[in-house]
Amino acid sequence: MGRHLLSRLWHGLIVIFGVTVIVFVVTRMVGDPVAMMLPLEATAEQRSAFEHELGFDRPIAVQFGEFVAGAARLDFGDSLWQRRPAMEIVLEKLPATLLLTFLGIGLAIVLAIPIGIVAALRPGGGADQFTVSFSLAGLSIPQFWLGLILIYLFAVRLHWLPTSGTGTPAHVVLPMITMALPALARLVMTVRSAMIDELNQQYARTARAKGLSRFRVVGVHALRNALVPILTLAGWEVIRALAGYSVVVETVFAWPGLGLATMQAIERHDLILLQSVVFTVAALVVVTNIALDAIYQRVDPRMKLT
Amino acid sequence: MTVRSLVRIVLAVLCAAFCNTAAFAQQVTIALGSEPTTLDPQVREDGSERAVNDNVYETLTARAPDGTLVPGLAAAMPALVDPITWEVKLRPGVRFHDGAPLDAAAVAYSIARVIDPKFKSEQASFFSTITGASKVDDLTVRIRTNGPDPIMAARLYWLKIVSPAHAATRQIATAPMGTGPYRFVSWNRGRDITLEANKDYWGEKPRVQKVNYRFVSEPGTRLAGLMAGEFDLITNLLPEFVERVPKAAHVQGLEHPIVILNADAGITKDVRVRKALNLAVDKKALAEGLFEGRAIVSPGQLLGSAHFGFNEKLSAWPYDPKQAKKLLEEAGAAGKKIQLVGTSGRWLKDREVIEAVAAYWQDVGLKVDVKIYEFSEYLNRLFDRNTRADAIFVVNSNEMMDADRSLSAYYKAGGVGASNTDAELARLIDSARTEVDTGKRRAMYHQAVQRAWDNAYFVWLLNIEDVYGTSKRLQWTPRVDGKILVKEMSFR
Repeated sequence: MGRHLLSRLWHGLIVIFGVTVIVFVVTRMVGDPVAMMLPLEATAEQRSAFEHELGFDRPIAVQFGEFVAGAARLDFGDSLWQRRPAMEIVLEKLPATLLLTFLGIGLAIVLAIPIGIVAALRPGGGADQFTVSFSLAGLSIPQFWLGLILIYLFAVRLHWLPTSGTGTPAHVVLPMITMALPALARLVMTVRSAMIDELNQQYARTARAKGLSRFRVVGVHALRNALVPILTLAGWEVIRALAGYSVVVETVFAWPGLGLATMQAIERHDLILLQSVVFTVAALVVVTNIALDAIYQRVDPRMKLT
Repeated sequence: MTVRSLVRIVLAVLCAAFCNTAAFAQQVTIALGSEPTTLDPQVREDGSERAVNDNVYETLTARAPDGTLVPGLAAAMPALVDPITWEVKLRPGVRFHDGAPLDAAAVAYSIARVIDPKFKSEQASFFSTITGASKVDDLTVRIRTNGPDPIMAARLYWLKIVSPAHAATRQIATAPMGTGPYRFVSWNRGRDITLEANKDYWGEKPRVQKVNYRFVSEPGTRLAGLMAGEFDLITNLLPEFVERVPKAAHVQGLEHPIVILNADAGITKDVRVRKALNLAVDKKALAEGLFEGRAIVSPGQLLGSAHFGFNEKLSAWPYDPKQAKKLLEEAGAAGKKIQLVGTSGRWLKDREVIEAVAAYWQDVGLKVDVKIYEFSEYLNRLFDRNTRADAIFVVNSNEMMDADRSLSAYYKAGGVGASNTDAELARLIDSARTEVDTGKRRAMYHQAVQRAWDNAYFVWLLNIEDVYGTSKRLQWTPRVDGKILVKEMSFR
């Protein structure tokens, strides 16, 4: 187990390093941050003087050397756009995104499991048909539009909740629901099909035949076996949100998270901030995957590795 | 009791506990499109930072709401003592929010700070003529320039005066402190910025007691916040939303979309083609159709009527597709290909305008090759001095409100976005830049914009209005310079 974890960590480090290097190269190949920072009417001389002050006129190899040395200390330099350490910005924005992700995906998981099970109990029945249609609708609604509709309904019309921003628990409600819905739709479908599979297995019938309660068969034996695909998808949902999909919800609700900051960094060609974001997100993805591995082994001992 | 009514009660209770929808009586809440990244007033070229700091800091000169330059922190307008030295007398008795007096040392320090290349200010290009400033006595400063600079008074309107003691601390980036009508209270990053009225303000006492800035990038959400009563003022209201807000306020804006035509090569080298490209576009229809009337047809120049150098004798090229077709035939350009370069998502309705212009050009018999690039790639084309595209769409916004900046960038041969090599035009713009006689200088600009009009170096399109949405209770008239000054606001 220890050796396995070490090798996973090692691979993770390689991934993080590779991704960061790719971002370094790509951001320097596409576009010129200085041109975007100064007013359009600034002269060519003013532009090159500014470039010199920022150090972008130095050979790329020198810049890369400095970048690697900095990255090893987790110091990527000052954001061009915000003029303060890029890591500081990332760490400031990250909690908001983590909160939104865990609340949203958490809500989706908590709701998806009972709904999916109910649907799976009688495939083709009324509850099942309703669940399937609901899931399809949830998958088809653009998240952006869903957010705006919720704002219109609950904030503008009913005045129950604020339209956007942060600060009180009430501010979290609409972004959380918007975050949860598409994930809920996908998760429900997975829970449903995984449970249908398991309930059709021989062991489920045997368990019923030897007198176990239906609740025990469904809730303990079948669910435990169905958990692996469910966990895989849940993990994917978390990674997806962290890796940038949260930007939609963050934009609509003016939620001050990492996704919104990343988008603004891209618009402004803030290479330094982008590198820090990509590094952090890559690290989070690696950690999430390792955590998932550990959970799999708990849930299904057959997956235990030496 | 039904489940529905139960849910309703629970939500209502929750809402009473947590919601903050009712705006405070004496507080104005303003929604900006983005959060300032720093509150240091001399670092960035950023509208959101300005929206806040314009109320906290002040400048030596100011502008009346109609755009006329007037003294601000200066006691009188700057005066020339020799061709390259301006002298500014300061208003006595003005104090920073910490009680320190505003003096010549603070002004000299502020100027030295923003022009220092090591400071890397994005605003430095506004002050490129200034070489230094020195104190004469406590209330007198002299500003030196690298040549005669008639635009000094307009430049100084963009140079915020900071306190040297405050600027020496890191605080200046997070807790601004100036001489203005509002003092800084708090900045919760990601959430809001709060200011309160400065009771010791030297000028007219502000009526609004508290200002709260919120940051909402999505226009639909800003609109929702205004409709729900959370905001009193939202910026950059989309023209299509105007009908839905409680109240809309609009003013002639600073943005001028134009198309730069290549006068030196290709299909647009022939002046008849350039004239035809102007005649082919129905600018009025663009203003009505795309901007719902919240734009005026540009009077044939890259200047608004409030800008120094505006030539009121010029008018827009008329819409005359027949004449356009005729000119194209004469020039042998009918059916030829023309490239139109632009970008998308940078300026209000940029793609829509570009596509409409292309359609008008198609209608008079040209093959239009529209190239929409990602912004940084677009900038490479706009700044490319070696090969100029036939036609480049750009939006010019001239906050300095003086002809020099726009004309030097786009009209003058060799300017960052110019596509002509007209030596006479360049000479006019260069001499106007250093002409200190206001009358002569104005005449030179009149001549310059007339010359560009005669040669149809551009397709002048529109002057887009600035549109704000406000709550019913807010009384406010927007300004031509785009500044959002809370001291000019009151409640009904």
